[in-house]
Amino acid sequence: MDNLARAYLPRIAGLALASVSFLAVTAAEAKEITIWCWDPNFNVAIMKEAGARYTKTHPDVTFNVVDFAKTDVEQKLQTGLASGTADALPDIVLIEDYGAQKYLQSFPGAFAPLSGTVDYSGFAPYKVEVMTVDGQVYGMPFDSGVTGLYYRKDYLEQAGFKPEDMQNLTWDRFIEIGQQVEEKTGKKMMGLDPNDAGLVRIIMQSAGQWYFDKDGKTNVTGNPALKAALETVGKIMSANIYKPAAGWSDWVGTFTSGDVATVVTGVWITGTVKAQPDQAGKWGVAPIPKLSIDGATQASNLGGSSWYVLESSAEKAEAIDFLNEIYGKDIDFYQKILQDRGAVGSLLAARGGAAYEQADPFFGGEKVWQNFSDWLAKVPSVNYGVFTNEADTAVTAQLPALTQGMPVDDVLKAIDAEVSAQIQ
Amino acid sequence: MVHARRGSIGRYYDVNGWLFVAPVLGLIGLFMIYPIVWSLWMSFQSGRGMMMKFAGFANIVRLWNDPVFIKALTNTMTYFVVQVPIMIVLALILASILNNPRIVGRGLFRTAIFLPCVTSLVAYSVLFKGMFAPDGVVNSTLATLGVISSPIPWLTHPFWAKVLVIIAITWRWTGYNMIFYLAALQNIDRSIYEVARIDGVPAWARFTHITIPLLKPVILFTTVISTIGTLQLFDEVYNLTEGRGGPSNATLTLSLYIYNLTFRFMPNFGYAATVSYVIVVLVALLAFFQFFAARERDK
Repeated sequence: MDNLARAYLPRIAGLALASVSFLAVTAAEAKEITIWCWDPNFNVAIMKEAGARYTKTHPDVTFNVVDFAKTDVEQKLQTGLASGTADALPDIVLIEDYGAQKYLQSFPGAFAPLSGTVDYSGFAPYKVEVMTVDGQVYGMPFDSGVTGLYYRKDYLEQAGFKPEDMQNLTWDRFIEIGQQVEEKTGKKMMGLDPNDAGLVRIIMQSAGQWYFDKDGKTNVTGNPALKAALETVGKIMSANIYKPAAGWSDWVGTFTSGDVATVVTGVWITGTVKAQPDQAGKWGVAPIPKLSIDGATQASNLGGSSWYVLESSAEKAEAIDFLNEIYGKDIDFYQKILQDRGAVGSLLAARGGAAYEQADPFFGGEKVWQNFSDWLAKVPSVNYGVFTNEADTAVTAQLPALTQGMPVDDVLKAIDAEVSAQIQ
Repeated sequence: MVHARRGSIGRYYDVNGWLFVAPVLGLIGLFMIYPIVWSLWMSFQSGRGMMMKFAGFANIVRLWNDPVFIKALTNTMTYFVVQVPIMIVLALILASILNNPRIVGRGLFRTAIFLPCVTSLVAYSVLFKGMFAPDGVVNSTLATLGVISSPIPWLTHPFWAKVLVIIAITWRWTGYNMIFYLAALQNIDRSIYEVARIDGVPAWARFTHITIPLLKPVILFTTVISTIGTLQLFDEVYNLTEGRGGPSNATLTLSLYIYNLTFRFMPNFGYAATVSYVIVVLVALLAFFQFFAARERDK
């Protein structure tokens, strides 16, 4: 045994020395804040701008903004949190509002509470609500997904419609217009991905309902807004006024290529719409069409996200200070990201700024930002709960049945059965 | 020390021997046995993310009441029942054709048919997605030939989406199985065929009565490998449907469902582990039946 110990001792010592030197190297590194987000034209570019602003006043802090696809950010985050290894995680991560409660509730202690530092009274209340668990508020509210109806003025004019005709639509009227647009111009009214329930969510929330009620209980079979939303999507499909899309980039291609006359989605798409300079002046923005049920409005929300600081981060203090300095207080920053990227932030004070008053030449001189800002105030507040992804999957699973003529009540029952089985 | 003891039993107590295998045993234990045992333990737990609680057999009960799981299981079995036989038969036929020395350029054909299986799963899935798009090359070719009047909704119709996945995996894996058969065919003594020909046995009968029985061990091997591969089908479906298994869950597989339960939905690692054990049990059962069906019937 003595022989053995003697043989191993140098190796053990070597290993110990190696790990000590490794630690020393990491300690010497400068303060770099790593951030994960997903849209190079939008939140990535905005975060780089924010970082540049902070580095001006704090030269010791640098930023590493990492750009992934959104699903990759979510899945990498979920894997990192589940494995419990903090080194795999960034210091700040962007999380979509639908998923915020899921992460906060299933990984308690993983995110840093910012309640004491950030003054949340200055933000849109619905954004703060999605990041609150047991009275603690986590995260820095970022952009809003207030929705609008983007439409091609040139196509609609050919079909005989003026911008005034697009203002106070019902969904039934929208479908009628769509049929005439196709008749006169040969263009479809909108792009639609049958595997994406986004449109259903927009319509449902516009009437103040969600898959779950205020207490988080499943709200499917007795949900008039969801029923009306499914009926509407069913009508759009059976009227065949849509161009089918397989996946996100395909869907984006339906309007960037000029194949469709309208887009109904969140304000964050503005940057993508404006990325086609040859379409300048051809687009207008109107409030989304309305359902014909009680509580229906012309305002809704799709997506929107917020920044979260990881509790395990080595640069936690700097990260929190950075978010609070820029996203919590810098009104000028919000004007810049609005003009450059079309980001409608959720800091209420920012809306008094000059940029919101300005007309946008791309949209033929309309004051689009003022409009979005007004609509944002009217978005009905709902509880996204923790199972939105599951409910969404159940809805998309039933969409084809709807188009094949299954009665809506049966579709709702099937969705309810699937959602109930998922919620445990 | 133990050096004094020698002999067959003494070997088990030889420290040096154990030291030699210790690193390997340690690694196997750490990276294989431990995760397997731990996942079995996890399958008896349930909860949200890190908040796991012991749940007994609740996850197994949940399987029965979960329409999505039933759907994923049905889809996976459909792929298995339809795709594996098609692929095995196709691979067998291709192998025996390309084994014929009179075929000109058979090396080229062999390479061409084997090539799909060395391409990246993700790359070919993305390529298939483009080719089978509503205005993609497949639909426009079929339309030009007059086979179809309106484009086939390959990616958006539940039936055609399944067909597309089957086409994709058949394209990818047929060559792989063919190589096994080609290798095995070259081990069959040519004189057996010679005798059969002299006795006037027709080509078809030579195939069914000589080639197939002599290839039986290899056929069994490829069937088991293909069964495992099909039951674990993930990459193709994930990439063709953007991870959703759509339309209408028509292409959802068990592996994709496990992935969704872990990474897309509210993370429930316990239930996901249970579903993965379903695959383990299925593979074990099917492999057992295949061995049973192909056993040697010694008289």
